[in-house]
Amino acid sequence: FPLLILGITESFGAGIHALNTSQLTDGVINRSKRMMLDTLGVGLLGTRTAVFNKALKYSQLFTSRERSSVWGQSDIILPPHYAAFVNGIAVHSMDFDDTWHPATHPSGAVLPALLALAETLPSQPSGLDLLLAFNVGIEVQGRLMRFSKEAYNIPERFHPPSVVGVMGSAAASAKLLGLSPEQCIHALAIAASSAGAPLANAATQTKPLHIGNAARRGLEAARLAQIGLKGNPAILDLDRGLGVYYKDYSPSAMADSAVRAYKWILEDQDVAFKRIPAHLGMHWVVDAALAAREKLQNAVGKFDLSQIRHVTLRVPPSKYVNCPLPATEHQARHSFQFNACTALLDNKVTVASFGDAQIGRSALKELLGKVSLETPEDNLPSFDKMYCEVEIATHQGPSYTARCDTFYGHWRKPLTLKHLVDKFSVNASSVLCTEGVEGVIDVIGNIERVADCSILGSYLRMTSNQEHLDRMRIL
Amino acid sequence: MPHTPPSSRIPAIFKRPLKAIRPVWAARAMHKSAVEVLKQPVPEDTVTASFGKFISELKPQHLSPVVLHRSKRMVLDSIGVGLIGSTTDVFELALQHCQNMYAPGDTSSVYGHRGIRLSPILAAFVNGVATHSMDFDDTWHPATHPSGAVLPAVLALSDMMPANNKPSGLDFLLAFNVGIEIQGRLLRFSNEAHNIPKRFHPPSVVGTMGSAAACARLLSLDPIQSSHALAIAASLAGAPMANAATQSKPLHIGNASRLGLEAALLASRGLEASPLVLDAVAGVAGFSAFYEDYVPQPLQSPGNDSHMFLLEEQDIGFKRFPAHLGMHWVADAAASVHKILVGVGPGTVSPAQVEDILLRVPKSKYINRPFPESDHEARHSFQFNACTALLDGEVTVQSFTPAAMSRPDLHALLSRVRLEHPNDNPANFNRMYGEVQLTLVGGDTVKGRCNTFYGHWRNPLSNDSLRKKFRSNAEVVLPSEKVERLIEVVEDLDQLRDCRNLLSQLQ
Repeated sequence: FPLLILGITESFGAGIHALNTSQLTDGVINRSKRMMLDTLGVGLLGTRTAVFNKALKYSQLFTSRERSSVWGQSDIILPPHYAAFVNGIAVHSMDFDDTWHPATHPSGAVLPALLALAETLPSQPSGLDLLLAFNVGIEVQGRLMRFSKEAYNIPERFHPPSVVGVMGSAAASAKLLGLSPEQCIHALAIAASSAGAPLANAATQTKPLHIGNAARRGLEAARLAQIGLKGNPAILDLDRGLGVYYKDYSPSAMADSAVRAYKWILEDQDVAFKRIPAHLGMHWVVDAALAAREKLQNAVGKFDLSQIRHVTLRVPPSKYVNCPLPATEHQARHSFQFNACTALLDNKVTVASFGDAQIGRSALKELLGKVSLETPEDNLPSFDKMYCEVEIATHQGPSYTARCDTFYGHWRKPLTLKHLVDKFSVNASSVLCTEGVEGVIDVIGNIERVADCSILGSYLRMTSNQEHLDRMRIL
Repeated sequence: MPHTPPSSRIPAIFKRPLKAIRPVWAARAMHKSAVEVLKQPVPEDTVTASFGKFISELKPQHLSPVVLHRSKRMVLDSIGVGLIGSTTDVFELALQHCQNMYAPGDTSSVYGHRGIRLSPILAAFVNGVATHSMDFDDTWHPATHPSGAVLPAVLALSDMMPANNKPSGLDFLLAFNVGIEIQGRLLRFSNEAHNIPKRFHPPSVVGTMGSAAACARLLSLDPIQSSHALAIAASLAGAPMANAATQSKPLHIGNASRLGLEAALLASRGLEASPLVLDAVAGVAGFSAFYEDYVPQPLQSPGNDSHMFLLEEQDIGFKRFPAHLGMHWVADAAASVHKILVGVGPGTVSPAQVEDILLRVPKSKYINRPFPESDHEARHSFQFNACTALLDGEVTVQSFTPAAMSRPDLHALLSRVRLEHPNDNPANFNRMYGEVQLTLVGGDTVKGRCNTFYGHWRNPLSNDSLRKKFRSNAEVVLPSEKVERLIEVVEDLDQLRDCRNLLSQLQ
């Protein structure tokens, strides 16, 4: 019987346990703070969505002695697992949260779990503890995604946050709980049995639950490991462990965490922040459409829909974002066609573009009828390599073509701090009063100096009076 | 000259007036330069919708006498193993977790624990853990443990329903059978499912779906909500085989039960998910994500006719001792060797007599363990179960206690075992066999072979044997009057006007 090599999972258990605050570099601190801020903003905005409301109503069936906050709600508390669940759903509800390479939405699976957990701990963690745990959760996800080539492309089978997100949440929670190396191993093993949701639920109302569930079940795995539940201590080593989620699987040990200068993946590979609440691929096609529109406008003097004979989109092959006529907001966020046409019609794509009224506009539908998709061979389904091209063919004759290789917000062209904070402010102001908005910006901005991170929770509950009076969803 | 747009460039679907387009379903577009959008599938055409319709429209009169009989046996066995399972460490841990994390609920009962009630989701969880904690629960073909994923959820949900509107025994059985049937149908969508699993632990895949279906039925969800329940459940399904033979395995059933219930509750509140989750859509995996080969089939709604339940065609296997199903073949084979040896000798088998033990078994990594260290590992070890049966003539609940596991005689035998995987012994619960060949000191060999163990679906436990197993399990935690009443209540379950009589006996 072959001797089981525990090496890889064991190295992760050791790493999660041993990584400490002195190993956080300036680069990593800076990038992860941006991620935390952006995640809180999109999460707050997301608390006004239908899917969040359904999940909240459902979660209110449960009570517990431990109490954790629901973002953007001044007086609702939930058991920590369910707080992690609903806040995670809020983060992903509009597909507005960060994206990494290889592809996943790393922060939404981790931050809600950590904040919910932090509120239950007998002694409140410092901002630095929180930052460290957060980065452990991100790092573990990054490492796991590098175990397979499949992970580098736009997914087809399992939705990545449901695979690596729950593992990241377990790792981060285990870190914050101060679990032993062995317990950390088992947290990962238990979490693996909660991983894996099929891609078919992307572009539906259930997709946000993938992140919500990743957050809560990773937290749960850590809590179970804390009271002694055990799983397979070679879960990462085995094909029939985490390997079941991938067609090719080649795991490797976590780097030695005892070194002074630990090399975080986030340092080498930044995340992308979204300007539009839609699947990342949409950002390329929108930028290209806006540029093509501008070319047309410059040439002709004014832009007029009736000039357009046909629109050709050249995009990478990806089934679940090819939707010629979306009927729901979820489908619209996963439609090259819809996002291109909205950009052409309105000269912008914003949060408001995905409301039912907007989706149902006859002018938009008419334009959608003129769109066709092409998938050139050189356009690879990878967020690191893809491009989008938009060609507007006019009745007058000439065509106007523009191409986007790297949209603004992509890791190759990151949002400036000002624009990141602006995005947060706009999002958070829809729910929080000014004091809350500014408070969060202040706390996250200075998190490595914050002694007691419960202050963050207080700001996240500072809803505006308008919010109290007018609880209509904006979408 | 007026310019007419080449109509061949406009996808066919947009030539129809927009009103005719059904808004709910996404078109199945192809990745081609010349886009040719297929006609949108009519909802009733999809496999997913057919399942939703079936769940919603099945009625009690569709349950045949055979199905009623077999499913009642399953309910009884499942309760029994759940009751004894409520004494295990892993159950205790799961219960502690639920009580720590959540305030006491007063809704749903916990197997064998008088006075403890939890919220329905958590009760489904811990009772599911209990059911699978000792690997004592039923097994089907294609392989899964169907009842443990469904029964705890249906019980918990029944407890949740208002006192003046509890399901009747027949409603209860109908929901249970929907949960079993859906699992059976899903397992037939792939060839991979017919063999002993290697990737995903089947209860975590189909069990979650079965629980969602059963709960959708009990909640009387409409066809669309029922199909959403399945789709939501799919995003909660799937756990890797690596956690089998560990303490976490029972959580696969616990989670299947509770997450299926959760999916149904979310669907009842209007949460929507993929309307094509069971269908095979190239480039976007739904339920197909869990299988390498996947060919879904629609489910016919019974209408006024009867429905041929899979349970009628393919019976369940019940276990006689708490270990992985594969162990039952080698145990029976080893027991026959024991009988031969003891018949001629001094009444026990001594390691000193034994030179070599050869087991001819199918090839399956997770049940090949020469020296198991925990009870979970021992329940998944051909070697352990064969040697225990060689020594004792049988394998029982007691065989997995620390005392029994640490016996020097047992260790001596274990060190003499080797395995062979004959080509004609496939890793398939319908076709495998177990063979034990003992070589005695001195050269004689004694052989035993089991093709079909007693309890397998080809050689089902008699009603008497099933009740005996139930009593032996249930009496560990319940007084014997309750035990007997439970047997009666389940026997007459289809006649019960109110299933409270069942619910009140479980703790």
